[in-house]
Amino acid sequence: MEEYDVIIYGTDLVQSIVGAALSWQGVSVLHVDKSPYYGGASATLSLTEIKQWVESNNNDPSSPFDDVKLYVSRNIDTSKYSIDLSPRIIFSASDFIDLLRTSRVYRYLTIKPLTMFHTYKDDFFDKLASTKEDIFTDQSITVQTKRALLKFMRFVLNYQSESSLPIWTDFKNRPIAEFLQAKFKIDPIYSNELVYTLGLCPALATPTSVGLHRIKKYLTSMGVFGSFPAMFSLHGGPGEIAQGFCRSGAVGGAVYRLHSDVSSVDPDTQSIVLDDGTNIKYREKLVIPSQQQGSREVRRLVAIVSNDCKPWFGEGESAAVVVFPPGTLEGNETAVQCLIFGAESQQCQSGQAVWYLSTTEKGAKGKKELELALEKLESAILRESTEDFDIEVSEEDVILRNGTPLISSVRLGQSLKDFVPREKLQYLAKLQYVQHETIANPVADNVIPIGSSAFDITYDGIVEQAKKIFSQITGSDDDFFNVDFEDEDEEDIGEVKPLGSTSNSNSNNNSNAEPELTFGDAMEV
Amino acid sequence: MTTPSTRYAQFKLVLLGESAVGKSSLVHRFVKDSFDEYRESTIGAAFLTQTVNVDENTTVKFEIWDTAGQERYKSLAPMYYRNANCAVVVYDITQAASLDRAKAWVKELQRQANESIVIALAGNKLDLESDREVDTSVAQSYADEAGLLFYETSAKSGENVLELFTGIAKKLPIDAAASRHRPVPKGVDLSKPSPSSGSGACNC
Repeated sequence: MEEYDVIIYGTDLVQSIVGAALSWQGVSVLHVDKSPYYGGASATLSLTEIKQWVESNNNDPSSPFDDVKLYVSRNIDTSKYSIDLSPRIIFSASDFIDLLRTSRVYRYLTIKPLTMFHTYKDDFFDKLASTKEDIFTDQSITVQTKRALLKFMRFVLNYQSESSLPIWTDFKNRPIAEFLQAKFKIDPIYSNELVYTLGLCPALATPTSVGLHRIKKYLTSMGVFGSFPAMFSLHGGPGEIAQGFCRSGAVGGAVYRLHSDVSSVDPDTQSIVLDDGTNIKYREKLVIPSQQQGSREVRRLVAIVSNDCKPWFGEGESAAVVVFPPGTLEGNETAVQCLIFGAESQQCQSGQAVWYLSTTEKGAKGKKELELALEKLESAILRESTEDFDIEVSEEDVILRNGTPLISSVRLGQSLKDFVPREKLQYLAKLQYVQHETIANPVADNVIPIGSSAFDITYDGIVEQAKKIFSQITGSDDDFFNVDFEDEDEEDIGEVKPLGSTSNSNSNNNSNAEPELTFGDAMEV
Repeated sequence: MTTPSTRYAQFKLVLLGESAVGKSSLVHRFVKDSFDEYRESTIGAAFLTQTVNVDENTTVKFEIWDTAGQERYKSLAPMYYRNANCAVVVYDITQAASLDRAKAWVKELQRQANESIVIALAGNKLDLESDREVDTSVAQSYADEAGLLFYETSAKSGENVLELFTGIAKKLPIDAAASRHRPVPKGVDLSKPSPSSGSGACNC
């Protein structure tokens, strides 16, 4: 009988990270997935695969997805699109970036910058004033508010220091908006931006401890790899990165077996049976996804549109974040978050974009709020893209940065109310679904259940969860990607192999010293 | 224009073929000029690189992706095939069935990879001539028919290994790739955080 130390069922991002971490520690790992693709509930799929995914979901009562609906235009080549089932963006100063670096998985990826975080308010889309310069030069902000914002930004960078603790400990579990108002006199209009757009917190009552952590993460991320706070991976997010970790695991010696379902598990004999009848034993642990659904859910709406959406992107970039804070969509209580990817993200074709809208609001209300947000996005981008639209640039629209006048998002700043689009936006595809969280309930000592949430559009909490499972298997997370990789390539263009010679060139182990990134402490929730 | 007289281009090369036909050994012979009789499977790095001179002025650098065993249960990720410029599909001349598997991999490549991918068929273990099961002429005519480069190689002795990779290099669109200026801007380099902060956020 085949035997492994650990069998992992499912190749969702967390499982993929754990599998790779174990295999680099010398643990023998079999990694199985019932689907013919990597990534599980956070896979990146072509539209062709999405069609099959929709069908298989409808026939699978144990699926964490429901209310799945898909429309695809007949005129497109469905193989040329990549859709993330749960898209995420990466903050530059985060434990996830550290993991991509220490695991070397970043070498399989192409990572691009993301600068633009837009907030929707009062029928306006504003580009976020998120840096000191932005705040100083923004003429719509009063002097008092400027002072308050700057004072808060100074505070939040060191909010965990001993002297700062008394300021916020009383508010620790209370909504951050209350804290900002009480302690810094920051109005809800501005705290919305801080909490929902910078912090990307979805719920109205984000506790202060979480909100501060997330706002700080945004601010410390600026400038780590350049003058942008966030990044995304080309060809898709978590699904692409899961592939990278699985490849890393395979290089480390793990065995990967897609399109193989586990038909039965026997914790007493520590063995599983695959759908082809193969009996496999695990010496230590079996990791399986939990099927028990929790009460939380995320509702998503993915739209592929026939518009490049360039007005929303930073220069040379092809992604943006748009946030609809609570109270901006006919009384929404949770934020609607939207990730926009242009053609350079390799998710769609030239002249098109993919919009990912999500909310944690449940039922018909959540559905309606996503549709409303979609409408706002549609009329905004049509107005942006209307070339003969009259734009009057007033002096207030021009800001000075380093002495150079910049027109600050003029068209974004104008009200949508009077705009009647001449053309309609064409939807090439539309996908809607609800994803339920699953809760890990213990089954047996040698079986580790794994839950999933996917409510976050950042990678917050992923590393923590992976480390926790790693510790459950090995006893501690001390050796989590504690690996000396043999460094076999890089920057060796100098030495060239002459034709006809078989001389050995450049196999020296020059491990390029990588400066450690440390940005504050880990999140405590 | 003041372009230098040397041409340089980088290409992604993927390996395919049944387990134990010698894919990794071929790469090791090419990259490190070594052979390990007891190599179990696969190289330990993300990918290996090696350069060849096609002619006096032309250098081609290969970024070589091994299957890392993921071919065993047909579990190669889309990431593996993506942007591959060339592929070496390996079979074992002492195992007739391995050529059939190689043909299936060629089909898989044609389905998953770029249309313009350069594919070479390599019949490995030429040093085991006495155990040969696949005639050179049989493989050659299949390669001709399918439009593949064809070499019989021995990772053990090194015979034809450099010729295989050089042959591929000569087939690649070097001018088109070189004119992109090297190296292609690939995105944010996560190995190099920028030392100075790009914004005022941290020093207020």
